[in-house]
Amino acid sequence: MGTNNNKRSDKRPSFFAVLLSNLFGGKKKLSIYEEAQIQSPMKTIVKTFSGNRVAMTAFGIWLLIFATVIIGPFLNPVNLSYSETSQINIAPGFDMMDVPKALQGNIKKISVGPTFSVGLSNDGQLYTWGKTKVTNVLDMKNIPAEFGNIVDIAVGFDHAIALTEEGKIVGWGNNRQQQITQPYELEFVNNIKEIYAGYQCSIVLTEDGYSIFFGNDRNNDYIDFHPYQYKLQKIALTADAAMGLTFDGEVVYLGNQQNSYVRIPENMGKVVDIAATASTVAAVNEDGKVFVWGNVSVDKGEGNVPEVDGKIVKLEGGRYHYTAVTDSNKIVAWGSDVLNQINIPANISTLEAKDLFVGFYQNYVLTDTDEVKPFGHKGYLMGTDDLGRDLFNRLLNGGRMTMTIGAVAVFISTFIGVVVGCISGYFGGKIDMFFQRISEMISSLPFLPFAMILSALIGNSMTANQKIFLIMVILGVLSWPGLQRLVRAQVLSVREQEYVTAARAVGINRFTIVFKHILPNVISVIIVSATLSFGSSMLTEASLSYLGFGVQAPQPTWGNMLFGSNNSIVIQNYWWRWVFASIALGACVICINLIGEGLRDAIDPKSQER
Amino acid sequence: MVRYIFKRIMYMIFVFAVMSVILFFLYNLIPGDPARAEVESMKDTLTPQEYQLRYEQARERLGLDDPQYIRYYKWITKVLQGDLGMSSAFKKPVSEIIGTPLGVTVFVNIFSISLAFLITIPLGITCALKKHSLYDKTVQVVTIIGYSIPSFIFGLLFIYAFAVKLQWFPVSGMNTANFQGTQWEAFLDTMKHLALPLAVLTFSSLGGLTRYVRAAMGEALTMDCIKTARAKGLKERVVILSHAWRNALLPIVTLLIGWIMSVFAGSLIVERMFNINGMGKFFYDSLVKQDYNVTMAIQLFYVILALLGNLITDISYGFVDPRVRVNR
Repeated sequence: MGTNNNKRSDKRPSFFAVLLSNLFGGKKKLSIYEEAQIQSPMKTIVKTFSGNRVAMTAFGIWLLIFATVIIGPFLNPVNLSYSETSQINIAPGFDMMDVPKALQGNIKKISVGPTFSVGLSNDGQLYTWGKTKVTNVLDMKNIPAEFGNIVDIAVGFDHAIALTEEGKIVGWGNNRQQQITQPYELEFVNNIKEIYAGYQCSIVLTEDGYSIFFGNDRNNDYIDFHPYQYKLQKIALTADAAMGLTFDGEVVYLGNQQNSYVRIPENMGKVVDIAATASTVAAVNEDGKVFVWGNVSVDKGEGNVPEVDGKIVKLEGGRYHYTAVTDSNKIVAWGSDVLNQINIPANISTLEAKDLFVGFYQNYVLTDTDEVKPFGHKGYLMGTDDLGRDLFNRLLNGGRMTMTIGAVAVFISTFIGVVVGCISGYFGGKIDMFFQRISEMISSLPFLPFAMILSALIGNSMTANQKIFLIMVILGVLSWPGLQRLVRAQVLSVREQEYVTAARAVGINRFTIVFKHILPNVISVIIVSATLSFGSSMLTEASLSYLGFGVQAPQPTWGNMLFGSNNSIVIQNYWWRWVFASIALGACVICINLIGEGLRDAIDPKSQER
Repeated sequence: MVRYIFKRIMYMIFVFAVMSVILFFLYNLIPGDPARAEVESMKDTLTPQEYQLRYEQARERLGLDDPQYIRYYKWITKVLQGDLGMSSAFKKPVSEIIGTPLGVTVFVNIFSISLAFLITIPLGITCALKKHSLYDKTVQVVTIIGYSIPSFIFGLLFIYAFAVKLQWFPVSGMNTANFQGTQWEAFLDTMKHLALPLAVLTFSSLGGLTRYVRAAMGEALTMDCIKTARAKGLKERVVILSHAWRNALLPIVTLLIGWIMSVFAGSLIVERMFNINGMGKFFYDSLVKQDYNVTMAIQLFYVILALLGNLITDISYGFVDPRVRVNR
């Protein structure tokens, strides 16, 4: 084999190199021992480390990840109580407002669903875009072919109904509540004016003001024999109720429960348009004054109608916001802005709107030239989870939590390890014996089961924040023996050196000798060990949280983001729920370990074989 | 030697006693009143006075009013007689139900550990021989990646690739429900179910093990005796397998014994992920169901396992390396 011999001949400088360096001086290569004479060990370490390409790349990537998860949460803070049923398990992508080219300049109507939209062209064709895959079996893109020409369209939560040229109602999507099955009495109706679709329900309104409801009447408060039949000109659906606008301009409630929708403001005058969000209703009267009632929430701000130039003439409602058109054809929007749905871009706020289509989180403005200008929520960079939370946001905030836990745990374990190792190594004897036995006991414990027990038993009466702190302490307190042993061995080897004896002879306090004179000599071992255990602490935290015994949801960490993905349905259909968190965690720990290895190589002159 | 072993065993007993005290007081932190739970069912049929009496009798009998150290004494004497208490979830003594998961875990882990060692030892040795070559550097980077990625991420990837996309193996479980066939076919069926968890277990242990073997072998190769052996003109094969390998064996034996001990411990994450009814999943399930007698028993078992592992390591040093005099 003779590998050793080969290597040596490889290292030997070529004849010309020797000649050149002899002739012109050249840069002399120093051995590690020569180097030590002219530069400090720290400088050597930094120089060797920065020459290690793999470790430097890892360091760069890690710095990038670190900066992102430290700065990111400030720009994109997490709302722990947030959940949104209409945005569950959405695939990554920004295509929710990508109106098809064929539809531009040819639009009759757009109806907006939670994550997808359906457009109707002037020639009666239907187009869908956005995240049409509502569940793993239901894709709203699959419009049945036999519909023929369509004249009206309405999109609900996970179904859509359409009105054909012949005056028939057709539909597709979820039909569990019969919300797309044409009821019997529709057979005799041939003057349909408008169709509406809501959460698991649909309503058909005829020219003469008669309304027919089909779908889930348990969730939606609606009675067929309401006193306003043959009087209605428009209907608006919240997530659980139906409001009507009569020909006389009066707003009426079409159900029989006594709830907040019934408290219709008095003295509204003649109402010209109504609209509804998921939980509120709004009406605008002849003078352009807007009234909002229902379950108006302060932090969503559906009731904060802005001051406008001119008066509002048309109202449309999204999931938690309203968008309106003024008499000068300008667009205004107010309400919740969590998904950027009321943020009107400059090029839209100035233009003249001919028509406006709004629903859930998207707004489509139709211009004079029949062009569609969308604004609102584009989509999610990394998709959403089973509660409709933005995974990118959780990844940023979870990263900060994971790194913080790792860092604090390492700080605790390094502190204990250094103190115990120094004292044990320097003093020896009974103190050494005592600490070594404790250390052996802790390291002989199986780590994960014990951490789980501690977290379950001590943590069961704690608040969320106390529990996070508990996890840090558990990780720190259970992982110091390794470092302790390293430090002790180093201290033992330094203890008998002359300068220590000298210090002792001068009569310096023993603790000062240990921590001021001996400790700086073993600092490099500590740095390497702390770096490597930072990585392993992050892994342990992730494993604990993955098992459900670490940080509890809703507080995100990279580990508990994977907690729910342990079944084949999630693994197969909702890959984004585990891929991004896995990549983030994996990349981060790989980088930390590469840095640690690089540092070890840089510090240990033996390992380099230069 | 005998004296040394005796000393070690005494030390083990001491550590076990300390650990049992810690565990006992830890479990006593759990809120709950076993006496109340016992008499609660009779509450409707008894008068309040009778109920109170029964309750106090139950407290007396269970010794709940005794000082902590007497309760600990009662508990530890029971444990030493093999009475680990009743499982609240299974309604059976813990000692009866712990056998099945232990068997499953041993069965699974024997395969995974032999696989891991069969791969890592040759890999580590070749890396040490070709130190700083491209081959070695590649293996180094791959093994860093291997031990930086937690086993559940490997699990998710493997399930996605081999169970969901390629459909070669089932997603979870130990065998097909209502499997009909000969014993050999049943064994094959089990192996098919175990292929993915075995792969994950092996894969996630490759990184650390390979680096460990490489380091041990690398250290051994720098020894003076190797230079002497080479200078003598021995064949490289003999130098490596006979001289270097023996010197590298010492640290590897430590690791090996630790791993053999973990045959009994089971992997919490992989067993839970693939729904294998081994010790890890058993522990996890009882912790989730708050079946604390079971978790306590498993925890004690783990402690004994770790202590035995340490003892065997120390003793085996003497056999592997005569220079280490254990009766020092």
